[in-house]
Amino acid sequence: MSDASVSFRRVWKKFRYGEIHNSLRDLLPALGRRLIGRGVRSSHDLESGDFWALRDVSFEVRPGEALGIIGPNGAGKSTVLKLLTRIVRPTRGGCTVRGRIGALIELSAGFHPDLTGRENVFLQGSIMGMHRREIAAKFDEIVEFAGIPDFIDTPVKRYSSGMHARLGFAIAAHLDPDVLIIDEVLAVGDAAFQQKAFGRIAEMRRQQVPLVVVSHQLDRIAQLCTKAILLNRGRVVHSGTPRETIAAYVGTGESTADPIAGDAATRIDSMIVNAPDQVPSGTVITVTLTGTVRPHWTGTRESVVLRVASVETGTTVFSTDTALSGVALPYAGPFTLEMDLQLNVPANVYTIQSLVLDTLTSREVFPGPGAQIDVGEGPPFVGSVQMNPRVRMREGEHAGASSGGITPVV
Amino acid sequence: MTPAADGRATAVDLDSRSANAQAPPSGRSPEPSYDPAVDDEPSPTYGQDLREAATELWRFREMLYQLTLRDVRIRYKQAVIGFGWALLMPALVVLSGCVVRYAMTRRSGALLDLAGIASISVKALPWSFFVGTISFATQSLTGNLQLVSKVYFPRAVLPLAATFGQAFDAAIGAIVLAFVLPFLGVHASVALLWVPVLALLLFLLTVAASLFLSCANLFFRDVKYIVQVMLTFGIFFTPVFFDPEMMGSRLARLVMLNPLSPLLEGLRLAIVDQHDLLVPLVAADGVLVWSPAYLAYATLWAIVGLAASAMIFHRSEFVFAEYI
Repeated sequence: MSDASVSFRRVWKKFRYGEIHNSLRDLLPALGRRLIGRGVRSSHDLESGDFWALRDVSFEVRPGEALGIIGPNGAGKSTVLKLLTRIVRPTRGGCTVRGRIGALIELSAGFHPDLTGRENVFLQGSIMGMHRREIAAKFDEIVEFAGIPDFIDTPVKRYSSGMHARLGFAIAAHLDPDVLIIDEVLAVGDAAFQQKAFGRIAEMRRQQVPLVVVSHQLDRIAQLCTKAILLNRGRVVHSGTPRETIAAYVGTGESTADPIAGDAATRIDSMIVNAPDQVPSGTVITVTLTGTVRPHWTGTRESVVLRVASVETGTTVFSTDTALSGVALPYAGPFTLEMDLQLNVPANVYTIQSLVLDTLTSREVFPGPGAQIDVGEGPPFVGSVQMNPRVRMREGEHAGASSGGITPVV
Repeated sequence: MTPAADGRATAVDLDSRSANAQAPPSGRSPEPSYDPAVDDEPSPTYGQDLREAATELWRFREMLYQLTLRDVRIRYKQAVIGFGWALLMPALVVLSGCVVRYAMTRRSGALLDLAGIASISVKALPWSFFVGTISFATQSLTGNLQLVSKVYFPRAVLPLAATFGQAFDAAIGAIVLAFVLPFLGVHASVALLWVPVLALLLFLLTVAASLFLSCANLFFRDVKYIVQVMLTFGIFFTPVFFDPEMMGSRLARLVMLNPLSPLLEGLRLAIVDQHDLLVPLVAADGVLVWSPAYLAYATLWAIVGLAASAMIFHRSEFVFAEYI
């Protein structure tokens, strides 16, 4: 028995296309067939009008992993989602998902236009499998997240499409799923809400919730996923790291020239660490970065990364970045970024290096400033390195405590 | 896209690009071929299927509650007459029953009396529950296309919510009826203990029909027209306006073949005639009015019908999204 949260074992799925017989003349033979066997499962051969939507597709996702599924239209991505969410069953092979499935798909399918937002939260929550008490406990949080406290007792038919979508997402985001399945829903609401939504997903990722994402937004796949598969015409034509798989899909591959520093939209100008030269292990330090973003086509997919590496061995022991933390870099202009790190590391000398990463190609496009820090003995260190990063972003001039908008901490 | 299998050989064109990618668990995979000799995962037995359907339904009981609440809310939010809505349909059935009965009995001399009105009222309520439920439930799956094609939940909650919504209306009707009946000369008796039993059987039978018809209407869209016609004329083949014994011995037995008949007749006898349903009843002219076998017959319909329709429903619910 494998310990995977999601497993697809050699799944085949047959669909019909075109007109399906729907006259009563076929009722008796059809019901008879269904009663005897499993309907479509029992027939193995392709009849006319049938096609294989999936052919021999296998994959697994374990806790802490995130699988991206990419491919052209008609590749079978939606079919995979329908099988995962148990809307349809495989023609052949097995598909299991352990625990409660949180599907960020059709987030407001259950809304009734004549009911109020409040009534719809309970209705939609129950459709997603939540109980009344659970919804009631999270109700305020959901309304807060959706940002519609004044309209919660208004019938949703009077909602704008943005409010509608935000409420749907907010309910789904508070489901506490064992497995999260996402279908292109990051295109919900305005930029600020998308960032909040993305932050919520990044948070679930940090809680080791296994994730399956289907998206045409390749940069999102690169940001979120630990591995990816490329589907084409119902079969897996490539599987590997997101970067390789995306490369296989877009056809750029290794041949593309490295973007040079001058190509990056984001520059990091300075780095300040608010700590003495030697600190005990376990201390929380704050690293403050200032930089500028110029309007440039790569800007939206860049992320500021902080890497902590051991001076002795050169290995990176921890890294965090703005994309993973759900913090957006400004579209243009100066910014100040504060990152709190808890130095849960064995006593040693470490470098803290900042850099700018192109999340689509996973390339370092700008080497930022770095610093060195000497970590002394602290409380006994156990387990893996987890620095509990907290990231704050301030846009605007660098002058100290500016009054610029502060993006909420994720 | 072409349906022919060989039309798909072009799928390999993407492989050449990824040929040198080599990260685990990785790489390219060979073109799969379908081998019918490979065994499927074993099909579940009937017992496993029914248990699975029941546990899933239990897991989604909150959704069933919320959907029922939705249906009731919508109906009462929109309707000007509010709770009067629950009474309108049964009241109309009673009224038309009285008109028909009056016309039938005027010639024979035995005019429609209070007991006659009471028996029509007692049977009109379950009949309008049945009709209301079936007409709502038949379209419950096709009417929630967005949900059925995009979201997982045990599909049975949709026809069941329609049934519970109508049961709510029927309960209001029953309360009103309980206040009206004493004025029609009906008094409480021990035989009233049969009412919950008969109500339960009626509920199960209605659920069975709802499941079957909603499922059938999903696959065959003309089912709803047939259902509408059957519900319109069904009242002439179900003893609502009349009592079966009025038709003579042979026809009475034929009418009682309708699985709803023993339930409606049982309700009438238990409430209006205060008759114990375990005891057979023969009219003065020798026509068999009631036999416990009728009760057994209706029970059989309810239980076997429910098991069979639940089975058909559950086995086909995983292709709903493909056919809807």
